[in-house]
Amino acid sequence: MSAIATEPTAALKKNYLTALREAIDEEMTLNHDMICLGEDIGILGGAFGVTEGLQAKYGSHRVVDMPISEACIVGAGVGAALNGKTVMCEMQFIDFISCGFDQIVNMLATYHYRTAGEVDMPVVIRGPAGAYGGGALYHSQMNEAWFCNSPGLKVVCPSTASDAKGLLKSCLRDRNPVVFYEIKELYRRRELAELLPEGDHVIPLGKAAIRREGSDVTLVSYGQNVYHCLNAADALQEQGVSAEVIDLRTLVPLDEETILASIAKTNRIVVVNEAPRTCGFAGEVIARITELGFEYLDAPPQRVTRLDTPVPWVKSLESFVLPNADKIVTAALKVVRF
Amino acid sequence: MKVIGDSALSSHTATAVPAKKNQQKAETAKLPREALTKEDHLEILKHLYLARYFDVRLIKEKKRGNLKGTLYSSHNQEAILVGSLFGLEPNDWISPIHRDMPAFFLKDARSGLNNPNRMGMSIEELCCQVFGKVDSPGRARDNWSHIGSKSKHIIHSTSMLAGTIPVAAGVVYADRLNGGKSVVLTYNGEGSTAQGIFHEAINFAAVHKLPVVTIVENNQWAFGTPVSMEVPTEDVADRAKGYGIPGIVADGQDVFDVYDKVMQAVAYARAGKGPSIVECKTYRAYGHGDHDDDRANKYRPADEMEEGRSRDPIRVCKEYLIKKGYLSQEDAKLYHVEGKGATQTANEDFPPDVVAYLTQGIDFALKSTEPPGEEGGMWVFREAR
Repeated sequence: MSAIATEPTAALKKNYLTALREAIDEEMTLNHDMICLGEDIGILGGAFGVTEGLQAKYGSHRVVDMPISEACIVGAGVGAALNGKTVMCEMQFIDFISCGFDQIVNMLATYHYRTAGEVDMPVVIRGPAGAYGGGALYHSQMNEAWFCNSPGLKVVCPSTASDAKGLLKSCLRDRNPVVFYEIKELYRRRELAELLPEGDHVIPLGKAAIRREGSDVTLVSYGQNVYHCLNAADALQEQGVSAEVIDLRTLVPLDEETILASIAKTNRIVVVNEAPRTCGFAGEVIARITELGFEYLDAPPQRVTRLDTPVPWVKSLESFVLPNADKIVTAALKVVRF
Repeated sequence: MKVIGDSALSSHTATAVPAKKNQQKAETAKLPREALTKEDHLEILKHLYLARYFDVRLIKEKKRGNLKGTLYSSHNQEAILVGSLFGLEPNDWISPIHRDMPAFFLKDARSGLNNPNRMGMSIEELCCQVFGKVDSPGRARDNWSHIGSKSKHIIHSTSMLAGTIPVAAGVVYADRLNGGKSVVLTYNGEGSTAQGIFHEAINFAAVHKLPVVTIVENNQWAFGTPVSMEVPTEDVADRAKGYGIPGIVADGQDVFDVYDKVMQAVAYARAGKGPSIVECKTYRAYGHGDHDDDRANKYRPADEMEEGRSRDPIRVCKEYLIKKGYLSQEDAKLYHVEGKGATQTANEDFPPDVVAYLTQGIDFALKSTEPPGEEGGMWVFREAR
């Protein structure tokens, strides 16, 4: 009986991927000057189905099946934005974004700066990112550090369905260019399906979320590793260590305040990113809080990151190089026992 | 090197848009230049003087220490700019690159060079940019050839050159969505046609039949590399075949040939038939930039340079005007700059109104200031409104 009783609610729950589609759909309805450019996003509805049904609804002139050219997807998006459009550019995999690199870092990111504010670039580049699925070198990347190091771009990475929708809607209304990292391993994860907030659900950029409160150590991450941090926090609890978990959600601009408030309480921090260690975003977080909150720290901050390797294919290799809950627990115990 | 712009080449390539099918028509149809009045012809000559004098004057200003950056001379290539811009509609878009500096003020020059509402950049704004002054449209934030103006429909280039073509395609894609009829002219050297984005962007434009006219200024040298090491075909315009679009070769020394062929491509684009490539054969008179002038005289064969500089576009234009009866032999001799090197001309060699126009811009720029240092940290992001 109880199963039957919960069914209507379950049916209303939306997964991460559906939340993204709703965000794009709603913004396309609200903003008649918005267009979508990407590979296979129209007839097919996207390799993963994020844009399913949108071309039928808005027409092939607004949801455009682009030739295979990430550079042209971004470049044409820049041109359309220069002429008054809001543009969503889909990268079929975020790994492919490197093919559009020049257009993103030299053309798009700098446009507002170069023109002393004459030109806005409301362009959102979004696509599936992240490892843990056996995607190997070119379907697993988290290359957000490239863009965090390119002034003029905002960088966003949601970890829940509600955030996926609220943050994407916020990005599509921002007058600045954004690179939006979707975690493809979370797209259809059932336990992440939730009842999305009703109405115009917009989450402001630059605000981190505290996913679990704790008092002994702060675990900071984003994307898929938020869940590894939560699992690590469970394991730490069994050892009597109370971990606070912060989900950054937005990397640029970074919510320093929330992290500093947390370490003022815990005095210890571990930062986790899925990208390689050297010049990864975890290093940036630690540099910032060390500059701003050194007096709070009772132990040297620790990073848990991918090894400085590409993401290899088969499970044994992939697991070896990536962060996981065990590695996070080890790092947390190290700072707690310092 | 192939003889550029001889009459045989011009007639061979006069078949512009779509070449073979309309061959007969093209022979009997009127050329765009035939709609130009005598006054238009004389204005074109004046625009050539303006472009030449811009270059000549900036060399002088650099010696005086006023110029901030490298000078990329358009000497000997002015017919391409003047011929391609003269027939554009005010609302059309352009994306000039480093060797096209006169294009910024020649765009929509026919609406009056000092008309503040025209869809081209004022000489004051342009001179502020080349002098690195705060009154430039980009407040001197990027190097001197990288300016533009959204409101004047001039796309801002980067140093990645062909990287501007997809942006141009996006601009007219949006324009078409809005029901507009604008055309965009993108300028490129033959060297940047080797960039992947050149292909990617024109391919996209061709798929959507976007009004993108790509002008290739084939001046035979991409910095220190000859065209034979950049492009495997005799004509860069042959690249058009792969996109199913017209590839047209124009005599880049002959302003009226450039005018005809660009106008045919523009009409084709505006009619919704799609993009074209117009290759204008010319020769780079000096170095890649002024830093390269001495070396360029060594890495290029002397006979090639002599031949490449032998058909000064101002002389070619004057000869045509004389033939048409629009210019007397005496008047043609009045301002004699043709065939003279960039440092061999004096102000007296140019029409006084040409000198006055540039002087007006330079005087304004000299009075402007460098931007305050703290502006270096501004406009990274658009602040929320």
